Amino acid sequence: VSRSRDAEYCEYVAARLSSLRRLAAVLCDDWQRADDLVQATLTKLYVHWGRARAADHPDAYARTVLVHEFIQERRSLWVRRVSLVGRVSDSPAVVVDHDVVLDLRAAVAALPARQRATLVLRFYCDLNVDRCAEVLGCSPGTVKSQTARALEAVRRALGPGHDADTGDQARRARGNATSTRSDRP
Amino acid sequence: MTEPQVRALFNQIAEGEGGPSLVDTQLALRRGRVRLRWRRACVAGAPVLAAAAAAVVALAVAAGPVRPGAGPAAAGPAAPRQFNPLNPNVSFGWLPAGESIMQGGAQRTEVYMEAGRPSDFPGWGLGVYARGQCHLTGSAGGLKCSGETPLQDVTARFSGRAPAVGGHTAFWAGTNLVWPYARGGWAWLNIPVHNFSTLRHDTVTQGQAIKIARHLRFGAATPPLVFPAQLTGLTSQWRISEVHYQADAGVLHADSYTLTTGMSRFFPHVGDLGIWTNAPYIDIHPSPRTGTCTPHDPATRNTSEIINGYRVVVKRSAAGGHPEQELCAAYADGLWLDIIEFGPRPLIGVSSLFRQHLQLLGTDPANWTKNPIR
Repeated sequence: VSRSRDAEYCEYVAARLSSLRRLAAVLCDDWQRADDLVQATLTKLYVHWGRARAADHPDAYARTVLVHEFIQERRSLWVRRVSLVGRVSDSPAVVVDHDVVLDLRAAVAALPARQRATLVLRFYCDLNVDRCAEVLGCSPGTVKSQTARALEAVRRALGPGHDADTGDQARRARGNATSTRSDRP
Repeated sequence: MTEPQVRALFNQIAEGEGGPSLVDTQLALRRGRVRLRWRRACVAGAPVLAAAAAAVVALAVAAGPVRPGAGPAAAGPAAPRQFNPLNPNVSFGWLPAGESIMQGGAQRTEVYMEAGRPSDFPGWGLGVYARGQCHLTGSAGGLKCSGETPLQDVTARFSGRAPAVGGHTAFWAGTNLVWPYARGGWAWLNIPVHNFSTLRHDTVTQGQAIKIARHLRFGAATPPLVFPAQLTGLTSQWRISEVHYQADAGVLHADSYTLTTGMSRFFPHVGDLGIWTNAPYIDIHPSPRTGTCTPHDPATRNTSEIINGYRVVVKRSAAGGHPEQELCAAYADGLWLDIIEFGPRPLIGVSSLFRQHLQLLGTDPANWTKNPIR
């Protein structure tokens, strides 16, 4: 293992750790678990660093590793034993309508891992259907159906009439969010 | 209308206060090194020793040539011509307070161990070579050791004379202590300091290094090495050529090993560390909470199968022009398993190996075996 390889890897991680953590946090809705997820991802990324650095888009490679790690983790017996479906993170909400946001957060947290990952890739990473399918290793049609099912599940969980009440809220929330797309992995 | 709400929620989470990062890049790098080291090639101590050798070249001070011939020649019993990879072959008899063996490995020509505190990296790195693998370089006052592959060759230039170890002349070589542990066999102890300048003024660490070296135990009286699976029904041509293990409460748990035959061949220029063909690389350990198989790669053909009741992913790709097949099981009787084999016509495919020859022994080390091939 050459030192240049290690140096290159460390340099990459130092530059991307913050954005990887944010993506992991969005997937997990829990910063501590996000750190665990990133930790596992970085080990795997190091093992596959030859491929990652040779890839056209190393960030996309790292994102793929992280998303797969997230989905696999959620499948594991350990998580199924301790995870409370619908659990809401203890992080404070910052948007105005707390009830709506908490309901929404719980609804998204209750989604199966693959559906949640699909939503994150589509609506946080802003990937189109084809890119999303590449990351998840499935067909574009599956991405579309997973997205539709996930959104439908969220709508059901929020109950009727939530659109009229929260649409403006969501726009305000989006306005509050200051992240830029460019630093997303 | 749900979509914009979901977008807003994700943005909100991403911009939330996550607190200081608990991610340890060095830990990831260390774990990754271990996996790379043992699954890509039979290069047991190479990374440690190669790094050590690099440090030697870069940091050795101009203390004047040290003539090893001036000291007592290594006498007494001869070093083994080959090590048994199923045995650690050496153990630490003394370590600084709070430190213990963390991991190690063995192959025929060299064994290596790393000790320290889990939070420290790197720790003390010990490399022990079989008889005939190392030779003094007369002109430079140094040592050259050959591994099983050209990638494992390392050289060191002596920086100065160290106190004798077991009656044999020892030398500082950059951040290493180097000495003949028996006739024809040399040992290296890589010392966890930044450079030789630091070590030269640190008499405490020097003393610890000498004490570690003097208390090493060679031979069979080493901690047991146990395997979480047993290979059965293989022809006698197969053997385990190298093993990597992790230490846990004084017991050494094998987690990576390679099966080879006379047909196995090494290609040094493939990947970072070269590859063996016709040599299944087996990684196996209790499935971690985040256990998964290798990430999706568009260039890889993946199939999900059920073999012996376990869900596995079989991947076929190529590395450096060599076909590669991989079988991964994220959770098989509580074990995470990965088998990789390179070559166009493998003597035994990864699926066949898993289906017909590999018996999993569960997650309790009490049920593991010292005989990985029956």
